[in-house]
Amino acid sequence: MPPYDDWNKIDEEEEEEIQDNSIFESKRDVILFCIDCSASMLKLYDDPNYEDVQTCHLYTALEAAVQIQKRKILVGPNDSVGILLFNTSRKAESTRGQGAEIKRNTYLFQPIAPLSASKIQEIIQLLDTFREDTGEFLRRFPPVSDGRVPMGDVFTSCNWVMRDGAPKTASKRIFLITDEDTPHPSTGRKQLVTSARTTLIDLTQAGVTVEPFFISTEEKSFDVTSFYSSVLLPTNLIDEEELQEDSSILPESISISRIEDLLSQMRFREVPKRAIFSVPFELANGLKIGVKGYGLVTEQKKGSYKYFVDLGDRMEVATVRTTYVDEDHQAEVEKAKMVYGAELGANVAPEDGEEEDETIGGAGVRTVKSGSRPFYTAEEARSFRTLDLEPGIKLLGFKPREELAFEDNVKHSLFVFPDEMTYSGSKRTFSALLRTMIRKKVIAIVRALTRRNATPVFCALLPQEENIDESGWTDPTGFHLIPLPFADEVRTAPIEEGFRASDEMKDLARAWIDKLSVKNGAYPPDSYPNPALAYHNIQLQASAFREEFDPDSFEDLTLPKYDMIHKRAGKLIQQWKEGLSNDNSANLVVPAAAGSKRKADVSVDEAEIKSKYDSGTLGKLRVDQLKEFLKSKGQSVAGKKADLVDRVSEWFDAH
Amino acid sequence: MVAERAGYTVTMFLIDVSKSMGNFRTVTQEDSKGENVTIEMTNLEWSLQFVKLKIQEMIFNGRKTDQCGVIIFGSEETKNIVNTANGGYENVFEYISIGQPNAGTIAKLDKLEASSVCGDPIDALIVGIETQARYLANKKTWTRKVVIVTDGESPIEIEDWEATVKKMDDTNVSLTIVGVDFDDEELEYEEPDKSNVKRVNEKFFHELTSTMANGITGSCAYALRETAMPDIKQTRSALLGTVLRLGDVDTRGEEAIELTVKASKCTATARPKSWKKFGLRERTTDEMDQTQDDEDAANARAAYAMLKMRSEYYVDRTPGEEDEDGDVKMKREDDDENLLDAKNDDEDEDKEVNVESMEKVEKEDLIRGFKYGTTYAPCPDGQFPRLHTRKGIDICGFFPKKNFRRELSMGEIQYIWGDPSSPQQQVALSSIVQAMYEKGSMAIARWVSRDGMDPKMGVLYPVPFDNVDCLIWAQMPFADDVRKYTFPSLTNLINKKGETLTEHPYLPTDEQMEAMDKFVDTMDLMEAGDKDEKGNRLPWFSTLESFNPAIHRVKQAMFHSAITGDITTNPLPPPHPELLKFFEPPKRVVRRSKEALEECKQVFKVKEVPKKVVKAKKEGHVHAQDDDDSILLLDRKQPSDRSPGKSQSQIMRFTQVTPTKNKAVAKDADDSETEDEDDEEMLLDQKKPSTPAPEPRPGSSRNPGGGPLPTPARSMSPEVDPGRAPGRIVGNTYPLQDFQKNISQGDVVSKAVEDLGQVIIEVVLKPFAKRRHSEMLECMEIMRKTCLEEDEIDAWNIFIRELREKCLAKPGNKTFWQEICALGLGLGLISKHEAKKHLGESNVTQNEANEFIST
Repeated sequence: MPPYDDWNKIDEEEEEEIQDNSIFESKRDVILFCIDCSASMLKLYDDPNYEDVQTCHLYTALEAAVQIQKRKILVGPNDSVGILLFNTSRKAESTRGQGAEIKRNTYLFQPIAPLSASKIQEIIQLLDTFREDTGEFLRRFPPVSDGRVPMGDVFTSCNWVMRDGAPKTASKRIFLITDEDTPHPSTGRKQLVTSARTTLIDLTQAGVTVEPFFISTEEKSFDVTSFYSSVLLPTNLIDEEELQEDSSILPESISISRIEDLLSQMRFREVPKRAIFSVPFELANGLKIGVKGYGLVTEQKKGSYKYFVDLGDRMEVATVRTTYVDEDHQAEVEKAKMVYGAELGANVAPEDGEEEDETIGGAGVRTVKSGSRPFYTAEEARSFRTLDLEPGIKLLGFKPREELAFEDNVKHSLFVFPDEMTYSGSKRTFSALLRTMIRKKVIAIVRALTRRNATPVFCALLPQEENIDESGWTDPTGFHLIPLPFADEVRTAPIEEGFRASDEMKDLARAWIDKLSVKNGAYPPDSYPNPALAYHNIQLQASAFREEFDPDSFEDLTLPKYDMIHKRAGKLIQQWKEGLSNDNSANLVVPAAAGSKRKADVSVDEAEIKSKYDSGTLGKLRVDQLKEFLKSKGQSVAGKKADLVDRVSEWFDAH
Repeated sequence: MVAERAGYTVTMFLIDVSKSMGNFRTVTQEDSKGENVTIEMTNLEWSLQFVKLKIQEMIFNGRKTDQCGVIIFGSEETKNIVNTANGGYENVFEYISIGQPNAGTIAKLDKLEASSVCGDPIDALIVGIETQARYLANKKTWTRKVVIVTDGESPIEIEDWEATVKKMDDTNVSLTIVGVDFDDEELEYEEPDKSNVKRVNEKFFHELTSTMANGITGSCAYALRETAMPDIKQTRSALLGTVLRLGDVDTRGEEAIELTVKASKCTATARPKSWKKFGLRERTTDEMDQTQDDEDAANARAAYAMLKMRSEYYVDRTPGEEDEDGDVKMKREDDDENLLDAKNDDEDEDKEVNVESMEKVEKEDLIRGFKYGTTYAPCPDGQFPRLHTRKGIDICGFFPKKNFRRELSMGEIQYIWGDPSSPQQQVALSSIVQAMYEKGSMAIARWVSRDGMDPKMGVLYPVPFDNVDCLIWAQMPFADDVRKYTFPSLTNLINKKGETLTEHPYLPTDEQMEAMDKFVDTMDLMEAGDKDEKGNRLPWFSTLESFNPAIHRVKQAMFHSAITGDITTNPLPPPHPELLKFFEPPKRVVRRSKEALEECKQVFKVKEVPKKVVKAKKEGHVHAQDDDDSILLLDRKQPSDRSPGKSQSQIMRFTQVTPTKNKAVAKDADDSETEDEDDEEMLLDQKKPSTPAPEPRPGSSRNPGGGPLPTPARSMSPEVDPGRAPGRIVGNTYPLQDFQKNISQGDVVSKAVEDLGQVIIEVVLKPFAKRRHSEMLECMEIMRKTCLEEDEIDAWNIFIRELREKCLAKPGNKTFWQEICALGLGLGLISKHEAKKHLGESNVTQNEANEFIST
């Protein structure tokens, strides 16, 4: 059998389909936290969560940065992060390297560098020191005494830091955190606005996105219009002219929040938004709009382990290279020369003596007349998968919303949003379609080939209305593209008949279901962090920080709230159980299925096994009897007789 | 339909190779483009296709217990177990003994040729049954199948056949007789000029199989057609035992519920079978010599070997120490000896070439671990201790069905049944299902498939079937699985002043909404399908009728290549129409929606945005898209290091081009216009419904000299230097593109015109300018047009005068000027008269213009 690793390797063609996740991993992301360090950010106030503890905005901002770094390091271990502080008179110590020569009153606390445990620990240490002595920030990052640094200088510094530190191919973002809505209150205001805007344009042209996080408090509310709305660019790039037009709309990504929500706001933007596909959506012949697809629901898996080489002084990741070889001839075959065909089947022992020629060949060899072509090229093989379709979504028609059945699902959905850049007028057409479909309560059936290497699928397009929930999160408007199962993927129900409950039993069940229902609830994804993933990540982090991991400290939030269940419905459940034991069905026995294989009667009364258990003579039962019992309890039937006996007694121990 | 037990089958193929099977026939078939191809083949070859398809199916499924044997009759030789033991049964030859088939089996069938004698199918049948029976001696449960392929032209000794039937029925043998050109009612085929022998034989075959418990006779044409139908492999889902729990069963058992239930799949993803990779074997000289001795050159054969995937590990040691290096190398050699795959001989050199400066390491020397940023977190087991979990499904609570968000469903669906062996458990589950159904609620649950496995969250949905109640499970996302991307609102647009906009190009108007309303109504599918017995139209499209086209097409292609030696002469037929039936909307609906569609097209005015040319930027950032993106947006600077194989798989790759050359470009005032094009973001917000995207520039189609098109082909060589001189926004390499791009951006027209003029003059005055003449003429044509439209008439007149002067001077380029003159006034001075037409001014008289180009 091939080693475990090989099982997990997927052929490239299939890979394309499964790849949804990997595009997020393959691209590196750089975030530069750009945090205001002015006196108001350093102003101490009582921590709302802990008594007798003082905190400040800068503390919260840095803590958010730590949290984001901790999360990013797990999701994208190759990503880079840096922290730049402004409005501080602190100067760089060295005259070399990143951040040495940036504008006055800006200070590069952590240069942009790949994430690492030590960098995170550095900030944690700083935060701990602050907890002990709240004067720490003032000492380390003294705010500028006279006025504020012009925002233009801040952007320029950011630009230089990014230029020096960020990998060229990465997506680059600046998380700007400030509580000051009027950074240039007095003289030269107009000029400073212009310079801020120019430098910001420079920044965007260098491929950097600025994501502002504005802190608003009761005493000091944040007014975007006083400065930022005239500086920030709607989306990333726009020309001067457009900026002056007052009809242009605000950037999508401004977040103004209370300081407590800073982290959650940042988490919305933690992962850079990347489209999985960008294709035309053909509503009918001659009517196409542009759309992009995003994966809003994708299974987040544990990172896969890597192979390291011990080089003595350090560990280095080994690069994996996969080749295809003709094993008998020990020849590697280039990708371009490969041809594709069907499996050749199992090896059959060669015929006795007669015709020992190559036709039957060795294992895994097919011989044909020279010059003829028994296999397909890569291009042909691909066209069989795509059926020669070009990537795109094609509308087939509409059906009522109810036609989208609960069980018609095989894969996670994708989110579709209009793309004005490929077809002008996409947004209004998309909006009109969306609104009409919401009003008529219909879904669309479409045929979709989302990528060049994918296979065509039929999907339902489910319109999504804009909803704003209490946390301030907005469900974006757009379509959910839900892949429908093919006939090949639907399994028929294996059981067609069964015993059913009487109305009394149903009512008894209804009683406790009523008690355990959340009135206006729904499935809350946010309440259930993946426990297995978290458990893995905590250990990974502990291992990297060289800390001990205490398994008992781990809390699994997905476990049912037992206390609440018993408190509300315990008695009712008990009544239901009583009803069940009095139900007729307790006395019924299912007639043995007329199986094709005849078997000895192994069914043993549970009571009999119980008595054997009580008397400690379980060993007297036969293996098949033990197995039958375990099977009926949904337990494993693996192992030797002793294991089975143990397992049966364990079961009785527990019940 | 109860699925047959897969595998555990021995199929005997009895193939007629009598003389008559060698008769030729003409087979017409479509290739994948739908064109008819006629192929000449013998009846034997034709009917063997059926056998080969059946055998390929076995190879495809790859079951060890799916076996077959081949016996031929009508062969010149005799070799069979009955003959060996008792004599008789002449001309029956055991061609391939029973076993699991492989490609060799098919290759061997290809060697069959019709003989010069006749064979008796009943003899073969008896031999076949006997061979099969002996092989399966004590395996009573195996399915036994016999398939006879014959043309029915050979005489049969009809005697005592009832005994054979009895024997077959006793041992549960099923018999299928596939006849070449047998009469077929379903296909409405009747063979003309059927021989008497065949008529009698056909009748006998029908009688034989109908007497049997499990027998059938059919025509080969029908059998072949049936094999091409996409069929669905019925998979019976296994019932897996688990426990449904509510409450704390350990400490508060009397108040907690524990039901034994069975789970089975309701949907399961299916993928096309993966292709195997093959490589043509290059022959060594030794082998060549040998073959030349054995065979004629014409008979030469080519061998394709199946390739195996192999992974190798490399490490970049460059910053490491040298000593260390040596040590490990030694160790590696040791390992090689142990492994002794002999695979390392030629390999090492190989490596040096491909993974330069990297060193190969053996897998055994590697340590597993995780990356935590740049920090290494060792983990020799490949995973950390797992969370302790207990098998079963725990109910966490209930919520109203109407609040369920369908788009969160993550994957395959499962049924949950009450334990089929316990009526009480069934009733218990049924009571819960019914109560949930009545209340209209769903349950939130946590599922652990085995002790210690990672838990999954999901919802349980009550389903009361006709005669049984069950729950169905759908997996829901964890908090970690949901990505909260922000998108701009489509309905609520706010301008910079904080006001909500009610009119904007992004917002549909009432007229547009009305058109869409009609369109959606006319595209309704609920009554667009086939009619039922009562004549009512059914909905069009259902999951149960939609075959996965990729699976069946790939399978068809694989089968085809496996049974045909050459796909060039015998191309793959087109996909079965059944696969494509839902690819386009139903015709009725298309017809019905025609009017509404036209209206939509009119009012929405959607225009494809012309592909933009990316220019080198100040900071040198250029997007290199993958194929998907490039359909829409083009980039002409592709990084040279981009490996062609890789790029397809990624959605977006940012690649940088070293900014050296282009950095100096355009340092003047028009900075912001020339440097940009993050082509993603570029045009957003600029398109208004009232100003549809610009049409492709006229003149771009006229391109006689094969000069560069405004939008270059994607295969444009990666390292093209736009050739812009310092300070110029139009380069010498693709002047027209540069020019048009600048013009489309608006206010750099004067600069662009001036620069293009200079470029043209430079180009035509260079040696060997001739090959670019037509390109330059095109440039001039567009430039002149732009000048007329953009009020740059004077600039044009200055340019054309300068051009003329320089062309006619020495060394100059007289030919080029003559070409201009040949075009007449079209490229000459812009006169007063012409300028007026475009609301412009010029001080050139018509005469002057005429004279200008005549000299």
